[in-house]
Amino acid sequence: MLNLTELENDALIEIFNIGVGQAAASMSAIVNEAVRMSVPSVSFIPRAEAARLLGHGEAPERICGVSQHFRGAFETDAILMFPEDKSLEIVRLMVGEAVPLKELTDMEQEAMCEIGNIMLNSCVGTLANIFQRELEGSLPQYHVGTSDHILTATGSLADSVVLMLHIDFLLEKHQIHGYVAFVLDISALHDLKEQINLYIARAMGQA
Amino acid sequence: MDTPRLPLLESVFCAVNVGAVVLDNERRVVLWNSWMARHSRLAAAQVLGQDFFTVCPGLRGGRVAMAIQHALYYNFPSLLSQTLNKAPFALYLSEAAAARDDRIQQAVEVTPISLDGLPRHCLIQVNDVSIAVARERLLREQAMVLRSQTFADGLTGIANRRHFDVAMEKEHRRAKRTGTTLSLLMIDIDHFKAYNDHYGHQKGDQCLIQVAAALSGMLKRPGDLMARYGGEEFAVILPDTDVEQASAMAEAIRARAQELALPHERTTDATRQVTVSIGIATQKAGAPVEIEALIGSADRALYQAKRNGRNCVAALQPN
Repeated sequence: MLNLTELENDALIEIFNIGVGQAAASMSAIVNEAVRMSVPSVSFIPRAEAARLLGHGEAPERICGVSQHFRGAFETDAILMFPEDKSLEIVRLMVGEAVPLKELTDMEQEAMCEIGNIMLNSCVGTLANIFQRELEGSLPQYHVGTSDHILTATGSLADSVVLMLHIDFLLEKHQIHGYVAFVLDISALHDLKEQINLYIARAMGQA
Repeated sequence: MDTPRLPLLESVFCAVNVGAVVLDNERRVVLWNSWMARHSRLAAAQVLGQDFFTVCPGLRGGRVAMAIQHALYYNFPSLLSQTLNKAPFALYLSEAAAARDDRIQQAVEVTPISLDGLPRHCLIQVNDVSIAVARERLLREQAMVLRSQTFADGLTGIANRRHFDVAMEKEHRRAKRTGTTLSLLMIDIDHFKAYNDHYGHQKGDQCLIQVAAALSGMLKRPGDLMARYGGEEFAVILPDTDVEQASAMAEAIRARAQELALPHERTTDATRQVTVSIGIATQKAGAPVEIEALIGSADRALYQAKRNGRNCVAALQPN
């Protein structure tokens, strides 16, 4: 398991807050209403534990996920995840739709994909910028199922590590908690840590 | 004999049944396929080599521009859903559709294209999702019909309080987003308790049914909604309605109630007929207030109408 120093941890939180801040600005422009987002904390946990964290409780909760694959400076599956009822709430708040149906319709799933796409591009884009490296990404994919199902749908190995961001999403007095998971294998994990340290070194004027 | 690949690829690009546009790293149009030409009524020859935002000026600074930026400079693809973006490109199925600005419903993908030895390009794909949009609208309308059965007031058949709360929230958000006015009327039957005491509850119910039917019949626009707010109180939501229009509407509603000429022995009004008092609150364009404040103002305006002798209307500005 990877342990981050306090400095590395703070650097990551700062980077991701810049990313979700940009995503929030893009979303505000779309809906013409204030959307706020922040990342209060990040943690590295084994994939199996990440699934448990999301699926708390006895009956496995249904989760909506939007995933994109990124590669370049490091390789990762990035997945935005909300409990299913919360993603219904987000899409309908964004769309301003008054007739709620039980599940996300096809069109709403596509809207959720766009929301995920904006979030993930902004988060990873900020990382790439700060690492001064280029990454390439895939188009977003929509998933629904248990957290375990979603975390494995991208084909990651059981011993992968997940960099988990807690996301607070605030729209029209509704506060919604979600997660962005970056599934990383061991080599990607080391690439990421190396990039963080390069960034810190540059920020401290040592590089 | 081998088919030459390049001309073949270009023909295929032109023939595919989605809109496809390729831009170079300076956002000049490099490829513009037949689907785009057909639906934009701009031939490839007219747009090739041109700046993309000269060809599509309406897209400058918007979500499509951001997606192009992400593809060209960050190497990330973007998806633009129909739901959140409606129809960004001015694309039409026919001349007639163009004349009434009835655009093809679109889902758009913007993908970076890497080329050896050349700066990055990007591919814009536009899918026609009009059929899916229509299907979903139908689904939603049917859900609304089902819902309306649980959203109707059991006695009068007009919208109930729950329906009012949902509609109010929706119209309030819409007014806020679009920067339009929103008016709310609170209507109360004058001395209704005395009516009930004098004529009995069955007559009282009849009175409510008649008044509700007559007054809700006054509303003509699809967004207008009259609901039974509680007891003998009704609320009317009037989107996109300023204080003058709302006052005119309230006065027409007050007159309509009087026209029913339902006898009411125990009222203070000289006509000895059922009358209503109406309070009006209007949220100004671009100056939204909380829903509670709007309802509170309409309530206070109603109270003022009661104090002014009933069978009249009064308006208050929420703050």
